[in-house]
Amino acid sequence: MTAQTSAPGARSRAPIGWEGWDASPRPGPARRPPAAEPARALVPSLALYLGVGLVAGAVIALQICIMRIFSVGSWAHFGSLVVSLAMLAFGLVSAVMCIGKGFFARHWRAVAGTSVVLFAPLLVAANLVAQQVPFNAIFLLSDPNQKWRLAANFALYLVPFLAGALFLGTVFLKADRFFARVYFADLVGAGLGGLLFLGTLFLLPPENLVVTPIVLALAGGLCWFSAAAPPDAARASALRADLGLLAVGVLAVAAHFVLPPALGLNTLAVSDYKGVSYARKFPDSHLVYRDYSPFGDIAVYGSSYLHFAPGLSDNAAFNLPQVPENAYLGLYIDGEGPSGIMRSLKPEETAYFRFLPMVYPYLIAKSPDTFVIQFGGGISTDVALRDGSKSVTVAESNPAILKAFRTDPVLKSFTGDVLNDPRVRVVDYDGRLFLAGHPESYDVVDLSLADSAGLSAPGGFAIVEKYGYTRQAMETYMRALKPGGILSVTLWNKEEPPKSVLKLYGTIAEAARAVEPDAAARGEPRAIETSLFAVSSYLSTATVLYKKGGFTPSEIATLRDHTHAMSFDDIYYPGIPFDAAATDKLLGDYRNAIFSDAPAPAAGKAGAADGAGAAPAAEEVEDDGGPGPTPKVLPSTLMGRLAFHALVYGGWPEVADRYVFDTRALTNDRPYFAAYVKPRDLPNLLDRLEIVQDEWGYLLLWATLGIATVAAASLVVIPLVFGWRTAFSTAPGKGRAILYFACLGLGYIVVEVGLIADYTLALNNATVSASILITSMLVFSGLGSLTADRTLDRARSVLPAILCAIGAILIGYGFFLDRALVLIGTLPYGLRLLICFLTVAPPAYLMGFPMPTAMTWLARLGKEHMFLWAWGINGCFSVVGAAAVPLIATAFGLSTVLTLGGVAYLVAIPAFFAVLLPAAGKRRRGTEGLPLTVQTP
Amino acid sequence: MDRRTFLIGAGSLAASALLWRPGFALADTPKPYDAAMTPPVTGRDDFVKWMVANRGEDPKFLGEKWDRYEALLRNHDVWDAKDGRAFLLTPREDFVRPANLSRAYDHAFLDIGYGVTISGPHAVARMTSSLDVKPGEKVLEIGTGSGYQSAYLSHLTDKVWSIEIIKPLAERTRSTYDELIGKGYGEFKAIASKNADGYYGWAENGPFDKIVVTCGIDHIPPPLLQQLKPGGVMVIPVGPPGAQRVLKVEKTVAADGSITVARSDIFNKVVPFVPFTKLEGDAIQGNHNK
Repeated sequence: MTAQTSAPGARSRAPIGWEGWDASPRPGPARRPPAAEPARALVPSLALYLGVGLVAGAVIALQICIMRIFSVGSWAHFGSLVVSLAMLAFGLVSAVMCIGKGFFARHWRAVAGTSVVLFAPLLVAANLVAQQVPFNAIFLLSDPNQKWRLAANFALYLVPFLAGALFLGTVFLKADRFFARVYFADLVGAGLGGLLFLGTLFLLPPENLVVTPIVLALAGGLCWFSAAAPPDAARASALRADLGLLAVGVLAVAAHFVLPPALGLNTLAVSDYKGVSYARKFPDSHLVYRDYSPFGDIAVYGSSYLHFAPGLSDNAAFNLPQVPENAYLGLYIDGEGPSGIMRSLKPEETAYFRFLPMVYPYLIAKSPDTFVIQFGGGISTDVALRDGSKSVTVAESNPAILKAFRTDPVLKSFTGDVLNDPRVRVVDYDGRLFLAGHPESYDVVDLSLADSAGLSAPGGFAIVEKYGYTRQAMETYMRALKPGGILSVTLWNKEEPPKSVLKLYGTIAEAARAVEPDAAARGEPRAIETSLFAVSSYLSTATVLYKKGGFTPSEIATLRDHTHAMSFDDIYYPGIPFDAAATDKLLGDYRNAIFSDAPAPAAGKAGAADGAGAAPAAEEVEDDGGPGPTPKVLPSTLMGRLAFHALVYGGWPEVADRYVFDTRALTNDRPYFAAYVKPRDLPNLLDRLEIVQDEWGYLLLWATLGIATVAAASLVVIPLVFGWRTAFSTAPGKGRAILYFACLGLGYIVVEVGLIADYTLALNNATVSASILITSMLVFSGLGSLTADRTLDRARSVLPAILCAIGAILIGYGFFLDRALVLIGTLPYGLRLLICFLTVAPPAYLMGFPMPTAMTWLARLGKEHMFLWAWGINGCFSVVGAAAVPLIATAFGLSTVLTLGGVAYLVAIPAFFAVLLPAAGKRRRGTEGLPLTVQTP
Repeated sequence: MDRRTFLIGAGSLAASALLWRPGFALADTPKPYDAAMTPPVTGRDDFVKWMVANRGEDPKFLGEKWDRYEALLRNHDVWDAKDGRAFLLTPREDFVRPANLSRAYDHAFLDIGYGVTISGPHAVARMTSSLDVKPGEKVLEIGTGSGYQSAYLSHLTDKVWSIEIIKPLAERTRSTYDELIGKGYGEFKAIASKNADGYYGWAENGPFDKIVVTCGIDHIPPPLLQQLKPGGVMVIPVGPPGAQRVLKVEKTVAADGSITVARSDIFNKVVPFVPFTKLEGDAIQGNHNK
């Protein structure tokens, strides 16, 4: 999952608080609906609670639904964007209701009824229009239209959220007398909505997932109309409304299914640039298998046009009769791929395996017990079997892939039912977690091009959490080796200047030092000098081997002979000659490549072009001589050698500091290949973004933050424009009170979005992690809000303690959570779900207190004018915070995200006392009749 | 520019001044293509006039093409006169989609449908320059796409083969060529194209002196390496559009018959990336961080 996509987290957020607010102070305890106006009352009923819960569930389902639509149509689920959207909708509605409270109080029935009726048609319309103007991240920088398309998607998908928010806001407005129960129904409904949606992912293909929120909203609407009908004309009026709602809903669903084929529209526009789109265009392509579930939309296509031999040596062309034809199927998950599925090959057809980089460990390991960390399309398993493994234990964390290979007759016969090969043992969860939790050890542990189809756009890959490639994961793999066992890791090496491979080298070297038994030797070259070996192929792949106990000279000779035979490049072996003389120039050249204003180099016969404007261009080529038949060692190869040498023999921190890109190792805290640009270089990059446009995934995070910031600003501007009189009135401690709400908005959302990324470490699936996190956060925050009622009178002493506890828990989680999650990840999946659910509870429960407590006290103290600021600022910081989390995580780590959340709650402590300052010149109001104004922050 | 070119240019300019009238520019080329045809590079106006007279192209695009040509020279993406000529004679506007017509000579790569882009002019020029195609050499292109690359190549040699995997795209581009040939762009007769799996090359027309591979693949197809002549060069853009590196593959056969394949970059050194804003004219030079 991606950092960026990490969270559909926003709960259906109730715009609460204004119900206590009125421009004209209204002293007196109770507000009882006048008997003469029964039509104005909303009475508690089961139907009402159900209605609220169902609509809240619809809003959460909508969030996950949009994430899924983005995942399948584009390259990432843009979760932070979606969460931002939901927060923005509730923020906007809160602001508007604050301003027009009188109107909403009078017309609540019409407003709530209309919004619930319109939810379905608005959703269908917004989705259909958005799918006709999909944005393509690849063109983000090159095509000026793309940013408008991104903004249009943002604006369109906001619309249905507005309808849901308006409904919930209006109900809360009228439910002030029994607010706590309605609010609890909202939270529980939202939480269960997330779980229910997870279930419907098994039933509906991605293009039709919009049906789930629609059905939930329709059911919610039916309940609402029977709960809210005026008592005098209850039956007839409720019936009319129900019929209208159903008619509109059915028409909307019909439009979703009928209009696209009739008008030639896209129901879900899958980018032409996704792997599956190409496969569909091959003349002989045919769909072999499709299955959808929370684990992705899995499709397998067959075509003679599919060829897989990742990283094949060029020498294969002259040493082999032929690479087998018609030997592959392409596996696509959410349209991304392909991962190659290999036909069961005859022995002579597998000769080309020898020319693949993943064959290295088997050159020296004889009859090994092999562990393949990710099954994927199965190529690593095939290589392991063909190269004489005595046994192959293969892990696959995606149950949907295992199901496909185990149950589909076509796939089974095509692959020779490889998963049932007597030598193969299958682990049905993540290999990293399995090795961490089991004592078994292996002769070869293989991690080859996992998760990466290689052909798909690399830009999206980088912002995805790659827990399998972290230092901790590498240590796990190394500890799982028998004495003399080999870890082999292969990664794509298609970047120039090199980025990902340098991170890989650093990660493996750090891990190798960490597992060195002699602690005193860990800092010494001898700790890892003889245990590492690395090769690469220019713009193809890089492979790193680690041998427990070190390679023998004869093994190194065998490996190097193979490197030579394959025409690969040595990057490191014990004793590799290294000339430090080139270091300064190389590092300087790479830095200048990005940040200098020097003219481009001339190459070839440059300068020969005649005519105006031809600069004399021969000057810089002397040193390299331009293209020639025998290239010297290429700069990226030299850089790899330099990096490896510094990693083994010392000096890496200085080299890394001087290198143009960030090469920090991946850790469980920062499991990203992304964020290659060092934070200090970001300002220098602004006028040359196009040179990093291959990192569009990362750039998109910034674009999302930009749009979210503009949108969030509206949350502050609206109250300022429409409520300027109250907004600019002076009040004691106003600035600090505003800070309080900013802290709550930021703190809650960054914790929620950050935890979803964290929990993927144990749950291994973004959708599952998001669903569990949302449900747990909502339910426990709801309980916290309910409990807050009892501590209101002691808020001055209780709330600071609670805020302090939240800060401490979050900062503590930042330090220890990743280690705990690795342990949790070794348990059976059901137990993992339960424990994850419960470990979210302590902070979530406490985080339910601060907002309602402060809002109630504002009301008690007659400072209702502050509600404007509370909602505006809280919403604003939620919207921006959600979008900022992936950027903070990629640059500074997930623990920093949690720490930031914790600090926000700690800063809120002094600010809270400003909330408690009495309003100047106003009489303190009684507590009777003031609703519990509850809100998750 | 040599004297002959100038005379041809001046003569045809005079002729076209008599014939030219509004609306004529988009019709057939006034003069059929011949391999000696070379537009003047003495200045924008000279170039535009000559092209209008000889090729009947739209002066608006010609002006943009000239400006891009100057940027190509500044960025050293065009390495010699023959490559410059090839760029100047290729009507890029005929190979982009109507929606992108106004950006035909922008530096950017553009969408042409089917999940395929037409590479930016700098990328095409640089890659073609590195191929150093000489007249009469056999060139194979894998991934016809928009057709622009082969059109460009057809000004360097009269033997170009191009294979496209996506059938409707192959057909569309073929008809673009045929229409242009009909208009007088006879150089495109040099391009043979087919819809097939480029993985297997085009053995019956091989071996080739130069091969351009513009499709994504996780390895270099062995058949293409086999169809490359000894001493031949293959170039492959690697990476996403807009940030591609050009992989250069050279095949050498030693006296003992042993074959070596060497991978390199077309530059073999670290290349400063030049932001395109810097190439778009003096006005925004100051845009750069110091």
